Order: sequence, then structure tokens, then C-alpha cells
Amino acid sequence: MLILTRKSGEQIAIGDDIVITFLEIKGTQVKVGIEAPRDVTIHRQEVYERVREENMAAAAMTAEALSLASEFYTQITSTKEKK
Amino acid sequence: MKIQTTRFGQIILNDKQVIDMPHGMLGFSEHRRYVIIQNKKDSPFFWYQSLDDPDLAFVITRPYLFKPDYNPQIKEGLAHMAWHMDDTQFFKSLEIYVVVNIPRGAPGDMTGNFMGPLVVNPLCQQAVQVVLSEGGYSHKTRLFVQDKEKIQKIEKEVAV
Repeated sequence: MLILTRKSGEQIAIGDDIVITFLEIKGTQVKVGIEAPRDVTIHRQEVYERVREENMAAAAMTAEALSLASEFYTQITSTKEKK
Repeated sequence: MKIQTTRFGQIILNDKQVIDMPHGMLGFSEHRRYVIIQNKKDSPFFWYQSLDDPDLAFVITRPYLFKPDYNPQIKEGLAHMAWHMDDTQFFKSLEIYVVVNIPRGAPGDMTGNFMGPLVVNPLCQQAVQVVLSEGGYSHKTRLFVQDKEKIQKIEKEVAV
């Protein structure tokens, strides 16, 4: 990993079209501005990771699991209506 | 066109049904083409079947059925799509789904990924999975919030 030290207001360029600006440094928090082409996706890593892991787990779903779930849905919604 | 799937065998579909995901689903960026297949008539669940991998399919559902007040701020997450987001009519035309996870043997505990909604633009048949960092939505949102006893009772009934 490349490690650089930057001061508040300074920037880092990645390739020709990505610029990261360190806008504000306060205690343990850093406010970062990112300029990148529209087709580059930018996410907070931990949020991205949660969604990705959830996709991984969901991709292994079997047809049997869904039939069971469908049946469960029918049952639980019909008991709701009866009340 | 005919495609091969692991779960449903061969399926025949119209080219117009194919949904293109320029960025793929998170973790599956190499798979770009999908089709939405309803699980069965009147079911709120659909399969989101990959056309590039017969084995890859997600279960998806309409989030509003379970959380009518779901209000994801997706605009920022659509910025990298080449969509003409010119008016409110456009946002109304979008279809929103969430990916569902069903724990083995416990359908009552199934969750939806409300943090990463799947947004389909029917005008151009493109879709994107948006990652929400604001709004406080969980990637493991319970779909059924009825009391435990009732859930367990119905789980037992359907398991037979």
C-alpha cells in the first residue's frame, strides 16, 4: 500500500481523472472530497461490503427455500386478514 | 431467445425482457444481463436470473409491500448511470426491488437488503444496485415483524 501524508486542503491525483481533496481534518475524522468520472462508483467501504456480502449469501438461494418462503407469506398474510 | 438456468431448466424469453446492468450486482460485476421471473402467480417474490451464469439467481421482492414507508434516497446512487433524470415523472417510473435472504428452514426470519436496493429503469431496461449510506436502512431488514410465536407456528405448518 502506498502511504502519503497530506495536510488539510491538499490533494491526491489518481490517474488522469480522479482527484481526492482532504477538506478538513478534525480529531479522528477526515472530510474528503472526490472528483471522478461519472461511471466510477464510489462507496463508503463498510457499507459497500455489507451489501456485497448480503448479495453473496443471497445468490445461493434454492428454489425449495423460496417455495417454502412463498407458502409462509401466503399463510401469514391470510391469518392477518381474518382478524 | 433461449437461455439455460440451473433452477428452471431452459426458459424462452423476449429480448425486450432482458435487463442490462452496466455495473452488475455488487460482488458480481462480470454478470451484466438479467431477467425478472415471477416465482408464481400472485407471489410477491421474483427471481432475478442472470443470463450469463445459469447458476446465478437472486430472490427479489417489492420493498413497499413490507415497509410502505420505505423512502430510499437513490438519486446520488444513479449519478453514474447515463439516465435522463430530468423530472419527477422519471423517478416515479423506476421500479425498486430488494434482494431477499431466506435462512434455511426459517422463512419467518427472511430479510431484505434495504441498504442496497435494485433500481430498474423500464424505459431503457437498465438496472443498478444502489448503495445507501444515509437513511439508516439495514442490509438485513426483517420482512415479517409479527410476534415470534405466530411466526414459529406458521413455520411449523409450512415445513410439513
